[in-house]
Parts: sequence; structure tokens; C-alpha cells
Amino acid sequence: MTPTQIETVVAANAAALGIAIAAEHNPGVVAFFALAADMADCVAGLPLGIDDEPGNVFVPVAPQEEP
Amino acid sequence: MNAPAAWQLDAATIAEGVRSGARSALAGVEQCLARIAATDRRVNAFTSILEERALRRAARVDAHPRRADLPLAGVPFAVKNLYDIAGLPTLAGSKIERDAAPAARDALLVRRLEAAGAVLVGALNMDEYAYGFTTENAHYGATRNPHDLERSAGGSSGGSAAAVAAGQVPLALGSDTNGSIRVPASLCGTFGLKPTYGRLPRSGTYPFVASLDHLGPFARTVRDLALAYDAMQGPSASDPACARRAAEPASAGLRDGGTRPRVGVLGGWFREMAQPEALAAVDAVAEAFGTTRLVEWPHVARARAAAFLITNAEGGALHLADLRRRARDFDPLSRDRFLAGALLPAAWIVQAQRARHWFARQVAAAFATVDVVVAAATPCVAAPIGAEWLELAGTRLPLRASLGLLTQPVSCVGLPVVSVPLWGMSVAAPHLPIGVQLIAAPWREDLALSAAAMLEAQGVCSAPIAALRETSSPRVAA
Repeated sequence: MTPTQIETVVAANAAALGIAIAAEHNPGVVAFFALAADMADCVAGLPLGIDDEPGNVFVPVAPQEEP
Repeated sequence: MNAPAAWQLDAATIAEGVRSGARSALAGVEQCLARIAATDRRVNAFTSILEERALRRAARVDAHPRRADLPLAGVPFAVKNLYDIAGLPTLAGSKIERDAAPAARDALLVRRLEAAGAVLVGALNMDEYAYGFTTENAHYGATRNPHDLERSAGGSSGGSAAAVAAGQVPLALGSDTNGSIRVPASLCGTFGLKPTYGRLPRSGTYPFVASLDHLGPFARTVRDLALAYDAMQGPSASDPACARRAAEPASAGLRDGGTRPRVGVLGGWFREMAQPEALAAVDAVAEAFGTTRLVEWPHVARARAAAFLITNAEGGALHLADLRRRARDFDPLSRDRFLAGALLPAAWIVQAQRARHWFARQVAAAFATVDVVVAAATPCVAAPIGAEWLELAGTRLPLRASLGLLTQPVSCVGLPVVSVPLWGMSVAAPHLPIGVQLIAAPWREDLALSAAAMLEAQGVCSAPIAALRETSSPRVAA
């Protein structure tokens, strides 16, 4: 992502989620979003197949197991 | 000659004395409270001290009809302040949670330790909401490294490691999402256990990243780690991630000496992201085990990136309501990261979770020929409080995030790890410890603990109580 794309996505997603990012916080948020974008690029380089399921697996809750 | 005070003893010795009637739990807790009062102004490990409750419960241990059966009889302990303590708001290192209702009951692991005879004496400092590796907390101050008070204790369970290293308690509990037990254990020179993901129930603790959160103990001996671990095991339906798995006690195996594990040294990323003192510590451990076997895990950088994304997104989403309403009340060291994490595209996170599962399968295959693999726990020894940068592999990296470079890929796939402290590895700072991770396959905490006990018996690693000295390391403005 380009710096402009990152700034655009940060502003749009914040608006969609109802987060008002203060002007003095925005550079930090943009910088951390850019770091996450680099991490996402890194993950995207992995040769995943259709059988590679997510690592978080839902566990059904039976009635007697309610805490 | 006077008998040593409880704060000078390990947990097993205190418990043996209380069980036999040679020591009083009440006197031991009083001695630990006095030690905390005498030292915590310098260390800043504690955020709450539970004097009245602790004295009351210690007296109850002394009067317990089955005192001789309690494995942790009269052992003082403290917990990271994300564990619920009845009657107190669970701060999780934040200012925001001061407004929360007091916890109605103790966290499950606190209850299990107290059922085994241990006595809770207080709550400990941490990075806000566990999102950090240095315990430089804007609301409660920085926790100082007991072995060099000018330096960081590490984090996010920095108060837990510092309290054990300072001799304030022989046992503490922390949490580890990306390294938050192993990093402070490394920098403060204590033993630390991060069990398998799903081994210990997290019920009654403030979450950070449900997909990655683990709980575990700190201690000054491997025997104490195993004692605490055994007392806390067992499933709980109240934590959906907790495995429906019976307790598998590890202490007995330590007493038997265990079998010598097949040990390998993690290469690639794990050696590239380590300064000379970290490599020296790993090499000392490899030599002690007589191994030259190198083990390479594939795509470690991608696994670390996956853990980063899952952490960032789940952490941000968890705090979405407060990020909307009161972002200014967050610690400046965590606020912008939480805000960014709340905004990440869903596809990035799903891919990260898929990558995590892929990596777990590769790592499982790599355990076919070894029982334990070793890697440094941190890239370097403790840095001065306020330090911003770390030089690694010719690159200048932000220090605070980089302290987890060697732990994050391991917790990403939930492996059990014991961090053991070595000394004298840094030429520039020989007074400082550094930890080595002893990593086993899932559910084989026994192997990691046995390997740690072997190193301890050989004198390769140890966790002495700190002298609480300031040294001449330069103070860095925060």
C-alpha cells in the first residue's frame, strides 16, 4: 500500500467504526497501520492451500458446560 | 544462627517448613510483606498490597487441619494485575479500568494456588492491557529491573518477574501472549513457564488476545515452577480455549531426574535476531546438553507477522468501545497501536490465522527428531529504561516491539516453554542475566521442565535474589 492509500484507509475505516482519531494521534495510527500492512504482505507470501484452515477453532458449548 | 527469613527461601522450602510445623505461614507472610515494604519504592513491582487479607489467610493455613498435605503451604505469591482479586477492580495496567466494578471473586488460578496453601499478597505492575514488553507504564510508573535499577524489567509481566527477582515473593503469576512471561523472566533473571496454549484456564483474568493468551508462573527454581504449575492444572469449562485434558503433574518427574532429552538449537531467524550475548547463552546451553544439532523452522518471519496481526486486530477490537469514547485515557505507548489494530481489514486477520495453523503443522513435524529446541528468549540483555532503539543484524529496530522477536513465533503456535536465566553472557554488562527458551512440543511441559532442571543442577542457569543496586548505566529520558 502507498502512504496515501494507508491514510485513506485509516480515515475511511475509522469513520465506518465511529472512531474519531485526534489529529495528534493520527501520525502514530497511520505508522502502526503501515507496519501492519507490511506484516500482511509478509503473511501473504505463504503458499497456503484450500485445506489450510484458520488456527482459531470454534468450540461448541453444551448446556451442561455453561459456567 | 537465625533461620533465614521467608523472603530468602524458595517456595518449596517454605512449604516444607510450614507442612512440618517448623515454620509459621503467618510469620513467613509477615517477612515477605516487610521485604516488599523495604524494597518496592525502588523496584515499583506492586500496584496493590493485600496485607490484611494475606495475614488472615496465612493464619488460616497455620490452623488448617490438613496443613501437612498442602503442596504450597504458606507460600506467599503475587499476581499480575490482570488477574481478578475479589474486592478490587482488575486494572490490567490501565487507568480506564479503575472505574470498573470490583471483582466478585478471585481468578481461578488464584483460587487453585490458595487451595494448595499459597497466600496471595498483592497485585503487580504491567504494560497497559499487556500490550508491551517493557512495563514502562504511564499510569503506574516503570517497574525497575532488580539487577540494575536503571534498566527495564521487561514486560508485559514486568512486575511479576521483578517481584520474584527482588526477593519480594518466591512465586508470581503472569500472562504471555507474545512473550510477556519469557521476556521479563529473561531480563530479570528468573525462571518462567509459559505452558501449552489451552493448558491453564484463564477464567477471571482480563483478556488481551483470546487466540494467543496464556497464563503461567515465575519462580527462582525449576522445582517451584513445577509445583505451581501442578497446583494450577486441570480443565475448566469457563475458558473455551482450555483443553478438556486431565492434569499431568510434572514435579514427580523432576524428582526422578527425568530422561535426557534430545536437544536441538533453533537456527535461521532465531540466530539472526540475537545479539552476541543471546547467542552466547544459547551456545552455553547447547554445550551443556552436548548437542550441535541445528533445527530450522520454515517461514518464521511470516509466523511472527501472523502473531503481530492477530494481536493487533483482536486487541483493538476488544477495546473498541473505549477507543471510541476515551482514547486519550489510554497509555500513549499503547493507544496508537490499539487504534490502528481496530482498523485492520478482516482478510488480513483470517490469512494470519490460516498461516498460524500452517506453521503449527510444520513445527510439529520438526519435533519428530528432537524433544526440546532452544533459542534465546530476548535478543539482548535489559536496556536502560526509556531506550528506544536496538541494533540487530545491522538494522536499527524499535526496541520495545523487538524484545518479542524470538518469543512471538513460538507462542504463535502455543508451544510450552521454560525460560532459564544465564549470567555473564554480555561482555559490556556481565551483571545482567539473559534467558534461553527451552521449547517442547504441545503438552510436553514435562520435557521442558526436566531440561531446565538438568541445566539448573549443572549450574548453567540460576535465579539469585538481586542486590538491588544502581549501576552506572546511562539513564535515557523517556
